[in-house]
Amino acid sequence: MTVAALDTRTEAMEHEDARDSRKLGFWLTLPAQLLVLFIAVFPILMQVYISLTDWSPLDGIDWWQAHQLWNTFANYTDLLEDNRFWSALGRTALVMAICVPCEFLLGLGLAILFVDNFPGRRFLYSVLLVPMMVVPAVAGYMFFMLFQSGGPVNDILSFFTGSPVRIAWLSDPDLALFAVIVSDIWQWTPLMFLILLAGLVGVPEDQLRAATLLGASWTTRFITIVLPRMKTIIIIALAIRVIENFKVFDNFYIMTGGGPGVATETISIYIYKVTQQELIWGYVAAVALVILITLSVVSAYAIKRMSRSRELSR
Amino acid sequence: MTAIHLENLSKSFGAFTALKGMNLDIADGEFVALLGPSGCGKSTTMNMISGLLEPSEGSIRFGERDMRGVPMGRRGVGFVFQNYAIFTHMSVYDNLAYGLKATGVAKAERDRRVKDMAEFLHLTPMLNKPSAGLSVNILQRLAIGRSAIMEPAIFLLDEPLSNVDAAFRAVMRTELKHLQRQFRQTMVYVTHDQLEAMTMADRIAVMDHGKLLQVGTPIDVYNNPSNVFVAGFLGSPGMNLLKGMIVRTDLGMRADLGDAGLSAPLSSAQEKSVSDGQAIVYGFRPEHCQLTGDDGIRLPVTFVERIGARTILHLGNKGASIKGVFDNDVVARSGEIVTLSIDHANIRLFDAGSGDAIVEAR
Repeated sequence: MTVAALDTRTEAMEHEDARDSRKLGFWLTLPAQLLVLFIAVFPILMQVYISLTDWSPLDGIDWWQAHQLWNTFANYTDLLEDNRFWSALGRTALVMAICVPCEFLLGLGLAILFVDNFPGRRFLYSVLLVPMMVVPAVAGYMFFMLFQSGGPVNDILSFFTGSPVRIAWLSDPDLALFAVIVSDIWQWTPLMFLILLAGLVGVPEDQLRAATLLGASWTTRFITIVLPRMKTIIIIALAIRVIENFKVFDNFYIMTGGGPGVATETISIYIYKVTQQELIWGYVAAVALVILITLSVVSAYAIKRMSRSRELSR
Repeated sequence: MTAIHLENLSKSFGAFTALKGMNLDIADGEFVALLGPSGCGKSTTMNMISGLLEPSEGSIRFGERDMRGVPMGRRGVGFVFQNYAIFTHMSVYDNLAYGLKATGVAKAERDRRVKDMAEFLHLTPMLNKPSAGLSVNILQRLAIGRSAIMEPAIFLLDEPLSNVDAAFRAVMRTELKHLQRQFRQTMVYVTHDQLEAMTMADRIAVMDHGKLLQVGTPIDVYNNPSNVFVAGFLGSPGMNLLKGMIVRTDLGMRADLGDAGLSAPLSSAQEKSVSDGQAIVYGFRPEHCQLTGDDGIRLPVTFVERIGARTILHLGNKGASIKGVFDNDVVARSGEIVTLSIDHANIRLFDAGSGDAIVEAR
């Protein structure tokens, strides 16, 4: 084959090639697409269907016959007036607004400390990652014990104040929220730290040196070089934590069961309770669908922002 | 603009000594190239001048000012990195303005200086473009401009041409030399490429294994290398170096070069500085040998390399291997045995033990 022979290829031939590779691509991804169909698309369609009915497993009819209990958009209009739903949603947002920034700032601070070498760095690094590897339910039980009125937290406070402290952490509405937030921060700061450290290590050393030689202080360098360079990774870290935090369940449920009252009831706990205790599945399907759509829109927006910032920094 | 004085400068990293006892005075406005192979200590020297590393021993002075303990941001040193270290997330303008902004120069003044610098370096048309994706010669000018705008006393350049292809390197060399003439700043240029050092520098400092071997003008270092390393490192191809021994013959002192035979008699000046039986290295530049029918070094041709303007003959066998540069119409074939004559004035003798040049007695 010579170069000249290669040059004789026509546009039609190339077109045919492209069509062939598209066809091949279709067959190669077919099994995965079928799988996605069964684990994602099918349940969602089922959920949409049920959400338009009053169906409950107690009604004695199978779910595909739920159309007998058709109520059109009644579940969705009920949702608008469901105060417990809105307060759970607001509480989830509040928890997120406290947890994610705290985790971010702590993680960033730790990452800055760990980017330079110091004695014992490797050991401390491993220790710092432990919370992230604890099963959330176990972490929840751990904090449940810690925050008992006769538990270690009160003991430590007693030691420092000099008088016996007996705070009922998990039965006071405000303190219970504080306690569950602490457990979330404890567990997820390491993930933030890990991602941000990776980002920090990726900041080109030469650029930092160049900035130093141009007379920039540490703060100036951090704001003008480090943060812009880490922008993408910061957005990813925040997006992961926002999405995860929105779904928070295990440790909250184990520590307080959403209580006292509804003081720590997040949206996941709310959905769980309505599903398992009140068994109104048609309504639950509607709630879950609304949340899924909201979360999808938010993450799609974040991802779009993310890819735009990458284009800029290239 | 400042002179740089390095006095007995040394640096060790644990047990490894990267640089030992370096003494070098760089005059105000001078362009000095630190030349040597990887690991010779040239980058260590530069990092100590910039303040990134503190010397283990010795001192660095800029003019009269001792630089010990002065942090790198306050040394007034401009640094051009090997990969230019352009802030690719900023525009060309922001790159140029970075140092002025960081040191709190007022906006109006900053704007004026950035525009002047951009004008000077022909960067005005791309001032508002993102700096990512610019071509290498623009990046180089930008990197220089970004440092020069701070009006540094000293400019340090760390192999700025090493990731540019050969053809483009020639263009950039010329450009860089022009810029240096216009800025009239003290420049220290680190490179492992002897051609860059030869073409641009006022003086070359050749280094190897953490030691400064020779300092001088390019021509001086090229013509009178102080030891075998410098002789072999400079020039492309480098100086021919043949091991031999001084022998006394009826016609005077000669060098017995083993397989290459006996050299032509040494000059009277050279004769006086060597002794009978002394082990020496006999050196001459490839471009200084002629083919002759007379007496001289006799070696077989192993390979004829025609590079266009010139023809390089690879001569010798396992014991002695040299190169000769001739006109492109030279008649020679592989396997043929040729005789070389070298003018007295172009022969350099080195002591085989120390490697140092044998200074001719006058």
